[in-house]
Amino acid sequence: MKMIQARNLYKSFGTHRVLDNVNFEVNIGEVVVIIGPSGSGKSTLLRCFNGLEEIDSGVITIEGESFAHKDPGKKDKVTSKEKKEIAVKLGMVFQHFNLFPHKTVLENVIEAPITVSKINKSEAVSMAEALLDKVGLSDKKNSFPSKISGGQKQRVAIARALGMNPDIMLFDEPTSSLDPELVGEVQKVIIDLAREKMTMLIVTHEMRFAEEVADRIIFMDEGKIIADEKPDRIFNNPEHPRIKTFIDKITMRQSNRQE
Amino acid sequence: MENYIQYVIDSSVFILKGSVLTIQLYFVTILFSIPLGISLALMKISKYRFLRISIGFYTWVFRGTPLLLQLFFCYYGLSIFGINLPAFTAAALTFTINYSAYLTEIYRAGIESVDKGQYEASKALNMNYFQTMKRIILPQVVRRTIPATCNEAITLVKDTALVVVIGMGDLLRSAKELFSRDFAITPFAIAAVVYLLMTTVIVYFFRKIEIKYSIYE
Repeated sequence: MKMIQARNLYKSFGTHRVLDNVNFEVNIGEVVVIIGPSGSGKSTLLRCFNGLEEIDSGVITIEGESFAHKDPGKKDKVTSKEKKEIAVKLGMVFQHFNLFPHKTVLENVIEAPITVSKINKSEAVSMAEALLDKVGLSDKKNSFPSKISGGQKQRVAIARALGMNPDIMLFDEPTSSLDPELVGEVQKVIIDLAREKMTMLIVTHEMRFAEEVADRIIFMDEGKIIADEKPDRIFNNPEHPRIKTFIDKITMRQSNRQE
Repeated sequence: MENYIQYVIDSSVFILKGSVLTIQLYFVTILFSIPLGISLALMKISKYRFLRISIGFYTWVFRGTPLLLQLFFCYYGLSIFGINLPAFTAAALTFTINYSAYLTEIYRAGIESVDKGQYEASKALNMNYFQTMKRIILPQVVRRTIPATCNEAITLVKDTALVVVIGMGDLLRSAKELFSRDFAITPFAIAAVVYLLMTTVIVYFFRKIEIKYSIYE
């Protein structure tokens, strides 16, 4: 089954075109990683799938249901009520975590299940405890976000998104604002999710991680999808010279950093 | 000496009786203007242009003219149009509307200081506008605006003295009456102590809330 389908997506910020006829799809259980230079439209694309950004035109389908259907200059054919019902199926993890600072780790995870999904508190707590256990943070459940490390924050954010029981997880540069030694613990949680066949769409600059976790890699540049291939093809034998330059540059930087 | 102590006690009782009205006016104003300030702040940043402009006009007028003038207007001015409000009602109304204007701007700035990532996270978790405001944004706003709200709460204690101009008897007026009768400075000293006591309680109270809300930092 197609979990996400994007057809002819266009979007501009002012005169700057950030999505330029984007077409791709994500199958069930598939992990798709989006890479590309800064400003190439990767994050914007991701944010269009849960309504944090609106496309100018095109069609987005989530699990076979229309999530956005816009002709140029026209109103969206999908109502905001319909969008909300579909958006429940997607969880999102942000570069800057965006945890709720006034709530403990546990409260962060149970907040939406209780207020949005209306499940009772004891049920929410036991589910949240299981999720925190899964991301290795059971012992931090009563800490406030200000008292834990960046890597721990991001793992809480993943648990919080999973708390809404999504079918698809979106990751927007989940390790970009972490200290290098904390990147691994977050990547491990994402790799575990991939093993459980969670459908995921991930924007990242970590090439080794991309190669390890991805079933397919999408390379974006200037709002266009330049390549949509298996990882080994992208990393070892890219068709487009632009991809090779980008990967060489970024892997050189990342191996320098590790030395 | 004994006579003087008795004089201080008698004067204090008289002044404290006068302060009952001050305290009543104080609580009515605080109880109404804080929720009103929060609601108007939300309207001032809403997507509806009409609301934004109306609230902007309101804060412009009420922050831009003297409280004393507003009090005159509400008590004497409205009577020209046949609206005769009792003095306490006129005072409570004026103070509430005036203080709400200042609080609106304080809370508006507080709401705008919350990182937009908080809204995005709430939206990504499918929380609606009211859930996001009530559960996520406003608790953080309250924490950030405690010092500014405390300032307003202290200023209000002293502003209540303005009600003498519409003929109401309050703490300060009682002290002034004693001064006129006895030509002694003691009543003013007592009035100062009562004001200080009230502001001390308020500062202590706000400090407590601040500590309670600060545990997450």
